[in-house]
Amino acid sequence: MQFLQCVLAEWALVAPRFTRTRLGISLLALGATLVWLGSRGLDHVTVALLAGSLGAILGAAGVAGSDNERRALATALSHPTTPLAIATGRWVALTGPAALLVIVCTATVDWRPSIVAAGIVAAAAVGSCALSLVIPLGNATALGLFLLMALAGAVAPERLVALAHPGFVRLAAASALELGPALWHYRDVATGHWGAIAHALAWTGLGILLASAFIGRRRALNG
Amino acid sequence: MTDYALTLSDVAVRGLRGVSLALLPGEIAGVVGPAGAGKTTLLQVAAGCVHPTRGEAWVWGCRITDANARKFIGYAADHAAFPRALRVREVLLYYARLHAAADPERAPQGLVREALEMAGLGAAANLLVGALGHADMQRLALAQAVLGGRGGRRVLVLDEFFTNLDAIARRDLRGRIARLAAEGVAVLIAARDPAALERLAARALVLRQGRVVRAGPLPALLGERVLEVILDAPPPEPPPGFKITDAGIEAPLAGRTAESALAMCRAHRLAVRGSRVRVKSLEEIVLETHDTH
Repeated sequence: MQFLQCVLAEWALVAPRFTRTRLGISLLALGATLVWLGSRGLDHVTVALLAGSLGAILGAAGVAGSDNERRALATALSHPTTPLAIATGRWVALTGPAALLVIVCTATVDWRPSIVAAGIVAAAAVGSCALSLVIPLGNATALGLFLLMALAGAVAPERLVALAHPGFVRLAAASALELGPALWHYRDVATGHWGAIAHALAWTGLGILLASAFIGRRRALNG
Repeated sequence: MTDYALTLSDVAVRGLRGVSLALLPGEIAGVVGPAGAGKTTLLQVAAGCVHPTRGEAWVWGCRITDANARKFIGYAADHAAFPRALRVREVLLYYARLHAAADPERAPQGLVREALEMAGLGAAANLLVGALGHADMQRLALAQAVLGGRGGRRVLVLDEFFTNLDAIARRDLRGRIARLAAEGVAVLIAARDPAALERLAARALVLRQGRVVRAGPLPALLGERVLEVILDAPPPEPPPGFKITDAGIEAPLAGRTAESALAMCRAHRLAVRGSRVRVKSLEEIVLETHDTH
């Protein structure tokens, strides 16, 4: 119960962050762009997947990526909470607006519950991965992940691996694409593929645990 | 063990070499020393942010590493950071929700009201954190540290709390900390500038290279009297026990009378223009320990 209340304490800060930082305007701009691309022929599942994943990355940058937010984690840890509660709360706080963006974009271009589910699953998995990157490394990694997802996230791995050199590089690229969160994985969620759902759930859990570990390390950085 | 608000027993960690300390409820202890002496590390151990590799730390009979300990200890770090896009009240409400989660009988709004009042931050409650001046940032750091209400946070650990504050803000915050101590809150406070603690702390610990090199009640430490002698010209060689200063020479009286010390000056044929006896400052004690160790 205490854990859930600590998680909800993080959620309560979503509205002020959304309205007073660049997070709100960035999500609106992303949503408008994706709806426009959807009306120009971009596949509707891809619109939902991009809305979820890119929205979650923007959310991670907004709720935990800035230097000030990362330093403030140490202050939060001097209160009765845990790194896991903070990590879970931040994940909820970044996934919520991204899920809302998925719903709005899908409702505008092609409302289908299966597409919405795929977008929200992508938001959960990619958001968790983004959180585990921005807490130790800052917003520069959020930009890198954003570009990766926007440009390469929706491309099938076979096409990307074909671009890599043979040997170890190709093997490493194929493994990274297979194991990492990528939109082509979560496209199958729309068709009820359990492997894709399990992949997303695994990334969600792993990302939160990694973020929690990095938050715990910031306790000693207080001061 | 529970008679003490905070107990550190031979704690050691990187930069700190076996420090012991016991703080009574309502006591204010100052930690002074040069940069790199281990003040912040000592405070981080006392606040439970850093786990000691040796020794033990307790707060109200509760091991400092226990999650429960954070209900009792408030910590304001040097340059504590808060989300800049939030208002002061929202920041405190966030922390208050964490306390209310641990103790459901406390209402978050009530905790925020108390913290704002205790830190003197009521007028700035609706300002954005990013718009606060340095003094109000320190008040916010104090407010979040005391959050938990009366009977909640019973030990305050404040790092470099008075640094870069003007005299008025410093006096105001000193008064607020003294009032908290009068209510039974034990305070451990560190300062690079020892003068900041002279009017507040009841006890001082002088740290150097991770060790306590001098400690005791402040009146006893500051009780050492010093004879300052103003001379027409600096002497080529000061009399035994004296050292040369900008205006002449000075020496701790250490049991002898001012007259006997002045007689020694006259015996050395020094042209004394004037003299005065003053009490040693905490800064001098820090400098002395620095020079002698």
